[in-house]
Amino acid sequence: MKAAARWAGTALVLSAVAFLLSPYYNDVYRKLLLWITLALSYNFLFGVCGQIAFSHFTFYGIGAYAVVILIFQLGLPLPVAIVAGTALCALVALAAAIPSTRLEGFYLGLATLALAQLFIVVLNEGGTLTGGTGGLANYRLPKVFGFELSGPRYTVVIVLLLIGTFALLARLDHSWFGRACRAVRDNPEAAAAMGVNVARTKVIAFAVTSALAGAAGMVYAFVDNTVNPPIFGLENAFLLLFMVIVGGAGRHAGAVAGAVFLFLLPFVLSPLIGHHHVLVFGVLMVAAIVLQPRGLIGIYDELRRRIA
Amino acid sequence: MSSGAVLLEVRSLTKRFGGLTAVSRLDFDLREGEILGIIGPNGAGKSTTFNLIAGACAADAGEIRFAGQSVLGLPPHRIAARGIMRTFQHNRPFGGMPVLENVLVGAHTRFRSSLWRLVAGGGTAEEERQRRRAEELVDFVGLGGLHGADVGTLSFGQGRLLEIARGLAGEPRLMLFDEPAAGLTPGELERLAEIVRGIAARGIAVLLIEHDMRFLLPLAQRVVVLNFGAKIAEGTPQEVRRHPAVMEAYLGDAAAL
Repeated sequence: MKAAARWAGTALVLSAVAFLLSPYYNDVYRKLLLWITLALSYNFLFGVCGQIAFSHFTFYGIGAYAVVILIFQLGLPLPVAIVAGTALCALVALAAAIPSTRLEGFYLGLATLALAQLFIVVLNEGGTLTGGTGGLANYRLPKVFGFELSGPRYTVVIVLLLIGTFALLARLDHSWFGRACRAVRDNPEAAAAMGVNVARTKVIAFAVTSALAGAAGMVYAFVDNTVNPPIFGLENAFLLLFMVIVGGAGRHAGAVAGAVFLFLLPFVLSPLIGHHHVLVFGVLMVAAIVLQPRGLIGIYDELRRRIA
Repeated sequence: MSSGAVLLEVRSLTKRFGGLTAVSRLDFDLREGEILGIIGPNGAGKSTTFNLIAGACAADAGEIRFAGQSVLGLPPHRIAARGIMRTFQHNRPFGGMPVLENVLVGAHTRFRSSLWRLVAGGGTAEEERQRRRAEELVDFVGLGGLHGADVGTLSFGQGRLLEIARGLAGEPRLMLFDEPAAGLTPGELERLAEIVRGIAARGIAVLLIEHDMRFLLPLAQRVVVLNFGAKIAEGTPQEVRRHPAVMEAYLGDAAAL
């Protein structure tokens, strides 16, 4: 109950912020919340379960495209589209997970990289269904039970998505399932000897986190009211990886810190050095791996220990 | 000496690696609460026997029955679920987790809450119960006060104790020890022998694969001696020590006996 109250309180505070911001900053705020949501689920897959997969952002794209195509190309009502879109993400995730998670490390990376590239090809070659290279635009979120969700009210939807994702992952993490994921990451052979079904654990973690990314994608589709191939390319897939590593892989707080830091960094750096901020990202990434493998959250732990 | 029912039955167990027969038509039984040692010179087939029972490799012929049911050919995670837990000769802790969490991984097969129940917010009572059990086990092996310690800070001997606590968390009916004495100091060996006796006293069957006779012979109630993959002797430590075939196998290493 105390945990539920904490989640509700956080949701309330984060929602309240939306009503204080101008439309421009509301847009920035929404994207920040979406990056945090994605970093949290990717952290579970990569940081907690140790699966080096590059398909997470692709599932975000599948969710976004799916909901737009289902509603505006196929004419399905919104609730049906959301259910069908989630089912589609889970299905593609399972189809990808069952062969992929039999692969390890480097090979899983390659297989999921291929999936990510394949998705972009399908989007570009999808004709009128996907809108080709230009994507789909000029659509609006239908009314939800006669209620128009726009402006700060839509930001509240994103806050609920973030809190829901965080609460779900935290529940899983502090359970036998989360421990099994960490055990699989740390030592698969010992995990199996302790009774953990390694392949099954990997498939479930992959499917659950990919479905969460798909759900975030569905919400994202109505943020810019346009979906197009470049958004879901590898650049953002790697940015997501950077966020988790720079923040501190394996820790929820690390994912949040990494997402906030790397999302806001360009706003500070761009006026100073323009597009060269990507270079700074690369340097930060190397610095994190070499100097502080536990990331920003590791630095925070260290500081707290010294003060105590 | 041991009055428990027969728990593990190994019959005609055979494993070949190419032209080499690592384990050849091996037979033995193990009872509840009994401490059985398997000894033999290097290359005798001890580790292969261990791996066959633990499910880490597949047998070519024979049968392994546990509590009346065949466990031959089951993958390691299903063997663990049946109630056979193990330690590793070279400690294999989960490095990213503190001591208590490591032990809780050992309890994996004891959790009954489904994933759906967890998502719905359930399973917290079970989690608390298992956590308390894990705390007791950490104390039982003598790592009390280290519940939250990073496993990287443990000594080698403490790491071995963690392996034992982690195995016991799975509520095994049979506990397998893979060369548990290797790398331990004399003081740690004494403590280890005490723990193994304590485990058997709980009615758990104990199977030790061991190199170190000075550790094993006072501890085991019965010993199976292997050489070139075959059983050459079986009996109490006293009987085995005087057995001509054993003395021959260990020729030149009589001090070890």
